[in-house]
Amino acid sequence: MAAFTVIDHTELGAAASSYDVTSIASSYDHLMLEVSARTDNASIWDDHWLTINGDSGANYSSTQLYAVSATVYSNRNAGATKIENLIVGGAPLAADTFCAMKLWIPNYANTTGYKQVSAQCAMENASAVDATWKLATTAGLWDSTAAINQITLTPKSGGNYIQYSTFTLYGVTGA
Amino acid sequence: MAVIEAIATQYLEADAATVTFSGIPATYEHLQLRASLRSTELVNAMRLKINLNGDTGTNYSNHNVRGSTTSATAYGQTGAAYIQTSDGMHGSSLPAGEYASFIMDILDYANTNKNTTCSLMAGSALLHTDRRVQFGSGLWDNTAAITTILFTPNAGSFSRGCEFTLYGLNSA
Repeated sequence: MAAFTVIDHTELGAAASSYDVTSIASSYDHLMLEVSARTDNASIWDDHWLTINGDSGANYSSTQLYAVSATVYSNRNAGATKIENLIVGGAPLAADTFCAMKLWIPNYANTTGYKQVSAQCAMENASAVDATWKLATTAGLWDSTAAINQITLTPKSGGNYIQYSTFTLYGVTGA
Repeated sequence: MAVIEAIATQYLEADAATVTFSGIPATYEHLQLRASLRSTELVNAMRLKINLNGDTGTNYSNHNVRGSTTSATAYGQTGAAYIQTSDGMHGSSLPAGEYASFIMDILDYANTNKNTTCSLMAGSALLHTDRRVQFGSGLWDNTAAITTILFTPNAGSFSRGCEFTLYGLNSA
């Protein structure tokens, strides 16, 4: 049996306000999401907000290690209504430059533990000026024992993911 | 069709100044490169340089976060002639047999509507007193599909025993 299965691949033919995958089967061991995206936010800064199973309650936490200059910072939050601190860039980025994110959700279908998320994000830009680029590695928690059957990414800005943004969701199977 | 396919592996039976993957087909969605790296240069660690499609112009940027002591640092570079890691390779002053680990993801490498961006992750010398870890990203300011990737150590040559494997990830 193949270790990796493509659950969904979406390349936006037009701007879209979210990326949403529903009815995710529980037959895999882990989920991996690869995203190449940017938004139309007027500011260079934006974030992906991740919600799971449509839960909009205050059941999420996240912790982030990040840099936008020579100094490396960290922050965290709890009791949030989404997993935050998953970075993506907006309109001021260099033309045609999209941001990369790889996100893992291990053991996503288990019904005994809360769900952990880890992500590596890069807001690349043709600039070395402070605060025109950003790197982050982020951990997230969804405070629920339910098996995950839906994931939704939404730009924090309330704007749209622009055309050509891609989202590839893989199911990863153990032996 | 497997979702992840090994496109090519290069295991160095002798020291080599560069390693090149060429003729990369445009049939995958993403690429991933996994490597085990060491240089002949007499240093602890060094940068790895990456050129795409033979372009040696100043069309690259990169940003990195690096930890080697109790604090972390970061930096950015633009207008460079290559993407580079912050460390990511061992030098020959480390004990024999210590090779650094390196992973690079290139998303949508064949999408001609996008510049090429990549994510980088490297770790060095976990048994040695000089330990370093870094993650970062690189940008090639060009929308061409990637067909060639060239790796060059910042100094010296790749040591015998280095290994590079390029994978293609399908999306259907």
